[in-house]
Amino acid sequence: MSDAVIAVSELTRRFGAKTALASVNLSFPRGAVYGLVGANGAGKTTLIKHLLGLLRAESGSVRIFGRDPVADPVGVLSRIGYLSEENDLPGWMRVDELIRYSRAFYPGWDDAFAAELRETFALDPNAKIKTLSKGQKARAGLLIALAYRPELLVLDEPSSGLDPIVRRDILGAVIRTIADEGRTVLFSSHLLEEVEQVADHVTMIRSGTIVLSAPLDAIKESHRVDGRVPTLDEIFVAHAGASDADA
Amino acid sequence: MRSPAAAFAWEFGRRHRWGFIAFVVYFTVLATINVFFLGHRRVDFDNVQTFALAVVVPLATSFIYFLAVFSYGLAGDLAARQSMYPTRLFTLPVTTNALAGWPMFYGSIAMAILWIAFRFLGVWPSDAYLPVIWPMFLGASLLAWTQALTWMSYPLPGLRVIVTVLWLASIDAIVMLALHFKASEAVMLAIVVPHVPLAFLVARFAVARARRGDVPDWSRPFARVRSIADFVTRRNDDFRSAARAQMWFEWRLHGRSLPALVAILLPFELSLLFVFRETPGIVFEILISVLFTPLFMAAFVAATVSKSNLFMTTRPLTSASLVAAKLKATIVSTVVAWLFVLIAIPIGLRLSDTSSIVMDRWHRLLDSFGSPHAIAIVLVVLSALVASTWKQLVHSLYIGMSGREWIAKASVFIALSFLGVLFPFVHWLLRSRVAMAYLWNALPWIAAAFVAIKLSIATWIAARLHDTQLVSDRAIVLGAACWDAIVFAVYALLVWLLPSILFRGYFLALIAILAVPLTRLSAAPLALAWNRHR
Repeated sequence: MSDAVIAVSELTRRFGAKTALASVNLSFPRGAVYGLVGANGAGKTTLIKHLLGLLRAESGSVRIFGRDPVADPVGVLSRIGYLSEENDLPGWMRVDELIRYSRAFYPGWDDAFAAELRETFALDPNAKIKTLSKGQKARAGLLIALAYRPELLVLDEPSSGLDPIVRRDILGAVIRTIADEGRTVLFSSHLLEEVEQVADHVTMIRSGTIVLSAPLDAIKESHRVDGRVPTLDEIFVAHAGASDADA
Repeated sequence: MRSPAAAFAWEFGRRHRWGFIAFVVYFTVLATINVFFLGHRRVDFDNVQTFALAVVVPLATSFIYFLAVFSYGLAGDLAARQSMYPTRLFTLPVTTNALAGWPMFYGSIAMAILWIAFRFLGVWPSDAYLPVIWPMFLGASLLAWTQALTWMSYPLPGLRVIVTVLWLASIDAIVMLALHFKASEAVMLAIVVPHVPLAFLVARFAVARARRGDVPDWSRPFARVRSIADFVTRRNDDFRSAARAQMWFEWRLHGRSLPALVAILLPFELSLLFVFRETPGIVFEILISVLFTPLFMAAFVAATVSKSNLFMTTRPLTSASLVAAKLKATIVSTVVAWLFVLIAIPIGLRLSDTSSIVMDRWHRLLDSFGSPHAIAIVLVVLSALVASTWKQLVHSLYIGMSGREWIAKASVFIALSFLGVLFPFVHWLLRSRVAMAYLWNALPWIAAAFVAIKLSIATWIAARLHDTQLVSDRAIVLGAACWDAIVFAVYALLVWLLPSILFRGYFLALIAILAVPLTRLSAAPLALAWNRHR
């Protein structure tokens, strides 16, 4: 437990009458890719917001690198790279200004890596963020989430609404990150094929409750039917229920 | 709901139900007072302020609210080039006539009801002549033009505001002119009624153009100016610290607004000096309005300064550092805005040849108070204006930083309610010598009570800052020491400037404590942390 990058214990969260998270327990050790899957409204983003300290644990506890993200936002956020579906980069900044601005917050910022990512993603340094396409904005967000080689990369539905090329870039980033020894990725998505491609461990969440959390291979093995290994899609439907899967 | 007409009506009613309910409740109260207590009698208002409070303010507020609601102005960006008509409605299977027509029709009906309700249920002065028909059409035509001009797409950002204000002011001016020449009801109708179909045609054109995505663009001729502005403000070097980076972020995001607004207004204000150079009284009024411009504009800019978003809250900085960056950016913003004012005034006076008027007043001030006091008075007034501008920018920071819409709405409601009570109270106070004397004697006690409240809240905030470790103990102590020093300096200045016969030392100390901001500023990190970690 002490080695866990993410440790969540009995986390419960309510919004009015709705229970968004119910007694969630998680412990993710360092150095793997964790897929967080669930239907829309299942509680994935609420859980991730707790990990970032954007939501306070009403009951239970959340520890990232052994620290409370609410009590020590600087200590936690400076070690996390975060990219969300809700791309909220400041539209008035130019790409090079965004890079310079972000660089100031992270002592471990790698200029060479940032330049390499900018080249790879074909981002014009003089372009204003607001003039970029949705895919280019996602790439800019990914650049500033990766360039300081964070110990934990949190991707909250990063591929939603993006074209296959940008999605490939994002998956490439996940693979790059885990290539660095000891780094951890939490990848939330309802695009199960993507999760299946990169995740070592999958956690399924339904109506705020963890219904399954195990290594992907073990999950597949345990759901083998007549010798056939099911896809993550099929396993998800079996666990989350047809109605959630449709959602 | 089987027709587009019913759907439009339902959306307006459902979305703005609380506003409409408030309107109905207000009129029910007004009608009850008018029918049961006044018996439909006209009232002799004691003064203009009471009339304004009872009639003009509620009518104008309702009118502006209806303008905003029916032109979809509450949700759009007034300064944008794009049409403010909601794009989600463009894909409905209805004609452009229906898209432009139904909101205009319901808006016109609402304006007619507003006037009829005020005309027959409101409390009016006994000597007022109140026509029925043409004001109804005037309201409808002003609304129709507001709709047409806000739904229009424009070639330049901000042009919408200028065009709409100028056009509505022109209609108002024509109506005022007609009233001045005592135009008959028929003439008034002939002036205002044609505006409604004309505005509909313009609105139809605007919606049709917006529906097919046409947005004219005149930005090319301004590209060179924009590239120069970008070059000047562009950041090409690295930041030495996260705090500096965040300060730059705040400056670029909000800091330039106040200096820009002041810089836009100053030439217009100072150009009046050329017109009224022969009238010293008006020259001084113009200069006073120029001096109050930063303070006035800061009230508008303050709402944007206090905003926060997900990008900002996920920066690896403490809440106190994020607030500190905002405070520093507002200080720079205030200083730059005031530099503009202090540079522009002498230039304006020199060019308009009115500096002799100001010098004459300055010599009279020197004669009356002596050099040290006169210089001190001017410096104190200027410092107070600069400090008030900054205070105006940051005093509601804690509300915006909390990120809770209900707190912002409640604070506006409380402020308006307070003003609603304050005006009649002050009006009553000014007429009662006994009450004035009582108040004057009780003033130190009232000030002492406010000081006790302020210091109690400040102590609670300091304890919370300490407990939550949002701010280090050293910073709390240093902040308290700085605040003490400023309070002492203000107190010393007041003692030196004001006659001791009128104001006792302890009273001036209380005033100094109340004048220097403390609680609202120190609450901002707490509010941001509350927002950041919900």
